[in-house]
Amino acid sequence: MSTIALSTYILIWPVIVAVVLFVVGRAFYCEWAEARRDGRSLI
Amino acid sequence: MDGVETAQFGAVVVLGLLVLFYGGTFLISTRIGKRKENADGYMTAGHNIGFGISAASMTATWIWASSMYASATSGYTYGISGPIHYGLWGALMILFIYPFGKRIRAVAPKAHTLAEVMYARHGRSSQLMLAGSNLVGSLISLMSNFIAGGVLISMLSPLNFIQGVFAVAAGVLLYTLWSGFRASVLTDFVQVVAMLGAVAVLVPVIFFAAGFPAAFETGAANLTAQQGDFFSSDAFMNQGAPYIAAVLAYAIGNQTIAQRLFAVRQDLIKPTFVTATVGYGAMVIGVGMLGVLALYLGFEPTGGDVNNLIPEMAADYLPPVLLAVFFLMIVGALSSTADSDLSALSSIMMADVYGQNVAGKEKANPKTMLLVGRITMVVATAAAVAFASLQLNILDLLVFVGALWGALVFPVLASFYWDKVTNKAFTTSVIAALAVFLPVRFGWIPMDGVTGIAVDVLSVIGIGVVLGLMVFGFLGLRAAKITGVLSAAAAAPFAIGSLHEYATLSGSLVAYSVSTVICWAMSAGSGERFDFALIARRTGDFDDGDTDGTGNAGGAAAAVPRQTGDGDGEPEPAGSTK
Repeated sequence: MSTIALSTYILIWPVIVAVVLFVVGRAFYCEWAEARRDGRSLI
Repeated sequence: MDGVETAQFGAVVVLGLLVLFYGGTFLISTRIGKRKENADGYMTAGHNIGFGISAASMTATWIWASSMYASATSGYTYGISGPIHYGLWGALMILFIYPFGKRIRAVAPKAHTLAEVMYARHGRSSQLMLAGSNLVGSLISLMSNFIAGGVLISMLSPLNFIQGVFAVAAGVLLYTLWSGFRASVLTDFVQVVAMLGAVAVLVPVIFFAAGFPAAFETGAANLTAQQGDFFSSDAFMNQGAPYIAAVLAYAIGNQTIAQRLFAVRQDLIKPTFVTATVGYGAMVIGVGMLGVLALYLGFEPTGGDVNNLIPEMAADYLPPVLLAVFFLMIVGALSSTADSDLSALSSIMMADVYGQNVAGKEKANPKTMLLVGRITMVVATAAAVAFASLQLNILDLLVFVGALWGALVFPVLASFYWDKVTNKAFTTSVIAALAVFLPVRFGWIPMDGVTGIAVDVLSVIGIGVVLGLMVFGFLGLRAAKITGVLSAAAAAPFAIGSLHEYATLSGSLVAYSVSTVICWAMSAGSGERFDFALIARRTGDFDDGDTDGTGNAGGAAAAVPRQTGDGDGEPEPAGSTK
């Protein structure tokens, strides 16, 4: 593999991790806000 | 336990980080703590958790410290494809179980453990087989995480291994004991945010600090041809293939997954499992890439111990602040799994041992159940600390439990779809599979001649079973049969005559095949028909203190009334009743 391909191969995983972090974090915030609005426990 | 000499923390710094981490998680758990906890909430949080928390919790639970170390070791040993052959198959364990999970929740929407459902489906022997394997598996996992904590703390600070084990065990017990599973999933969210955030930052920082991408050229000579090949057969045969065989076994045998399956809102099972698959895979493969970088750099871990690889890479290339972040990432990984193990152990003791076998479903006292759960956590922590302190070799035990789970896969899954599976078929097939597995795995009998060929034939059938079951979850019976037959036929020419030489792989495959063949043979001729609707009536909430177990009277779960009996007037499940 070329240097560029290897670099992409190594660094793509932290990028995917960051995307998952964003998705999970946003969902959590929405659930937290909804629970707060409804006056109930998050869990 | 050779220490890292380059960047150790002082004892005060490490203790400060531990207090910060466990103090923070404890404070978070107090936000949801209630003076009177609900027994069902303690086990499954009311069966109504949202996507954000459940996906985070599933991801955090499946990532343990050992998975990061092992992925990096795979990268260091097998080269550029190594982390894929570790992380991808581990991630698929989550993905492949979700179609079955949807079916399991459909027939048992208010259950707490898989073993509890087996009790409702078959009876006591099937339940206790599954519960027993879950207990042993969770205890081993708990012990492994304590060991990882002790090693890490002793490596990066003046504290010794035993002190590290005690610190981690006390910290995890502190925030999990009172609210159980509810505390576990909420703190999992915080822990997974810390872990994912750390990986997103640390891997690129180490990449550039270590001189990449230029080091790909200067260090290329450090790789063998196989290590530099993305399609390395070495990596597949030694790392990937045994994992593929274990994909379904670990997902079925692990109560931490089942517990989250029963906790998440039913319509969110698919997005939860898919997100956790991607999150786990990307994180573990990402950390594993540190092993690949180490290989290019010609990095030699202290004492040749590959478990030192990640901590030493971090210590060499990270500034102190980011090294502290790395420390918290590992502590977060092992703690999130350890608290899940404690919750799993307590729910099995509460629902399967006390609820179903000691008191009985109708007479179980929710207060006593909670007490059983909390005592279980304390005893399990003490036992895991004791075993961790002895630094026992757990490999053989892990292999045995893994095989037990492999033997259970077909009987458990078939019991959710096929109304002809009987308790006798379930029990007999699992015991027979174990009886064949043991001599194959541990080489108790010579594998020359006919015996070796017989093991190879069973292994080939096992390949068909594993791949057939994977396809069955997504595409149904017809596609599964075609896949099973074709894959077995394709593997036969290569496998027969040689597969018995790979004891780990063939042992696992014969466990699958023997249990499947016997369970199928004994059930196919059975005249019994099980009514799956009975499972929902035989499983359900133990505690009606709150409607949904979370203090939210009138919550979504209230739409499903608490079931207090079978509806058929029979307190005990029968093997077949319709």
